[in-house]
Amino acid sequence: MIKFTFYFFSIILIFAAMRLITVRNPVHAALFLVLSFFSSASIWLLLHAEFLAIALILVYVGAVMVLFLFVVMMLDINVTMIRDGFARYMPVATLVGVVILVEMGLVIFSHLPEVQPVVMAADVSNTKMLGQVLYTIYVYPFEIAAVILLVAMVAAIALTHIPRTRMKYQTPSHQVNVRRQDRVRLVKMPTEPKD
Amino acid sequence: MLENYVPIALFIIVSLAIGLIMPTLGFILGPRKPDEEKNSPYECGFEAFEDARMKFDVRYYLVAILFIIFDLEIAFLFPWAVIFKDAGIFEFVAMLIFLLLLTIGFIYEWKKGALEWE
Amino acid sequence: MVDMSTFIDVAVYLGIILIKILVLVFPLFIVVAYYTLAERKIIGYMQVRVGPNRVGFDAVPGLRRIRGLGQPIADAVKLMFKEIVIPTNANVFLFVIAPVLSFAPAIAAWAVIPFDDGWVVADINVGLLYLLAMTSISVYGVIIAGWASNSKYAFLGSIRSAAQIISYEIAMGFTLVGVVLAAGSLNLSDIVMAQKGSLIHWYWLPLFPLFIIYFISATAETNRAPFDVAEGESEIVAGFHTEYSGMLFAVFFLAEYANMILVSALAVIMFLGGWLSPFEGTILGETILGQHGIVWFLLKTSIFMLLFLWFRATFPRYRYDQIMRLGWKIFIPITLVWIVVEAAAVLANLPPWFVEG
Repeated sequence: MIKFTFYFFSIILIFAAMRLITVRNPVHAALFLVLSFFSSASIWLLLHAEFLAIALILVYVGAVMVLFLFVVMMLDINVTMIRDGFARYMPVATLVGVVILVEMGLVIFSHLPEVQPVVMAADVSNTKMLGQVLYTIYVYPFEIAAVILLVAMVAAIALTHIPRTRMKYQTPSHQVNVRRQDRVRLVKMPTEPKD
Repeated sequence: MLENYVPIALFIIVSLAIGLIMPTLGFILGPRKPDEEKNSPYECGFEAFEDARMKFDVRYYLVAILFIIFDLEIAFLFPWAVIFKDAGIFEFVAMLIFLLLLTIGFIYEWKKGALEWE
Repeated sequence: MVDMSTFIDVAVYLGIILIKILVLVFPLFIVVAYYTLAERKIIGYMQVRVGPNRVGFDAVPGLRRIRGLGQPIADAVKLMFKEIVIPTNANVFLFVIAPVLSFAPAIAAWAVIPFDDGWVVADINVGLLYLLAMTSISVYGVIIAGWASNSKYAFLGSIRSAAQIISYEIAMGFTLVGVVLAAGSLNLSDIVMAQKGSLIHWYWLPLFPLFIIYFISATAETNRAPFDVAEGESEIVAGFHTEYSGMLFAVFFLAEYANMILVSALAVIMFLGGWLSPFEGTILGETILGQHGIVWFLLKTSIFMLLFLWFRATFPRYRYDQIMRLGWKIFIPITLVWIVVEAAAVLANLPPWFVEG
């Protein structure tokens, strides 16, 4: 049964990945990427990695793909313009493709020791086991991850943020602290005689 | 463990099915009288003269990028929160350093004005 | 070959799950339908109107006729027979699929909600994380609807709405971390059981700032007033669903209300002890009022559902820059600080909430 489920999700994954690079519409392509993330999450689930499977959906589908969609949708990409650059980028793309292919080949043919999923009692939470090692044995990689996130945050702001000198916005604390005396002046005037 | 996820899979299928059946019912039962004016995109009284998909402010992208970073941070916090009852001062300090680093980033974006909206 | 009896076993197993799902989903639909009526009636009375009062039938024979009780059914039938207009320049496939993408997560998230001890469809270890994932997926419906419509109002509405939803999701995620920190589990039933004791033991007290921030973020997440700039009528017509009509609109509508009920239920589970009785540990604890049960869960959930309506009738709409400021500059710092404070309290085994055991 598990075997059947595995092949079912694998086929969906391969199909989605194929469609991802073959469809014309970039938004459709992004949605196929979402589908392939879902299928991979299901395969991870079959490996009993429930925390990682749902974290994959949470982070990749819920956050990364939202940014992708933002970029793809709003950049208003013209399909013919991309075609024009095809020949120009071909050599670089081929090089990258070959490197990836070689890397994958190395992994497949290097006879790595087979990894078996850790079999555990049904009531032991996967998340708990992860937590027990992540913040003790793997504490240095964990802190390095924080540094990488910090660098990412600073870089994103440095790259995208254009300081706006003309920007107008209210300071809410000023708005709240305004007193009546600052705004209103009561003037006493003699009543005009009626004639 | 896996048997707990069978209901989830079924639930997702059922909700997708309901979501698809309802519009299908609407397509079957509702009339179809296409009309050039009716099918044009909503615009206040004049013809749309350009494609609606336009470039927009870079700050929306920035929000999405910052969201990814904070979302990852939350994903890192969850296993920590689960084990913390059985953990000691070491895990507390480990997380304190983690949060401190991200707070530095947060203060940076605040001071840079990345969180300002007009 | 597959044995016939095992095949029947599997079929029965799946059938039982399916029945459980339908037992949950059908009442949910009825609640959603009558929630829309309740909204119109309650806001009506708050504004000294009567609300819907034409379509009706006798709820209890012999009792005074409650006018307007048939309104949700009439609305549903009406929407079913309305034409679904698809704009000329729209991307038809994405236009049709967008409401489904926003509806399915709102319903599927109910799989992990426990109504009573053991009354849950899928009792998974990472329930809270699953809920967070489902909430983050529902933003797709909004983005895709806005883009597929190819209309300026829909497009602007969807970008605003998406940026707002993801901003508040961070604050919401941090409050969930706070709850997990207190309960030591991601399983929703465990979170409720960890609050056992009395009214004081519920997490609303030790996590009070997170409780408030959670509910306000939930209001922003569901695009409800006063954070409903995405569909600010005076600015961008109806936001991302400007171009939607008939049943496609109805699906968006149902998703919004199902989400409101979902976040109310979640607030009850995380901060108000789920199905636990508020009279536990008091003088009334031994009487029938001290019994735990689904009644308490439903009662508490409906209080939050009422709050949504009350907000809408009370508060004026927030401006967009104010919304972003509230989410990023106020909620995120407060939640971060409170998580550290709470972690210190857990470390110190602060009674009565964080005692070891």
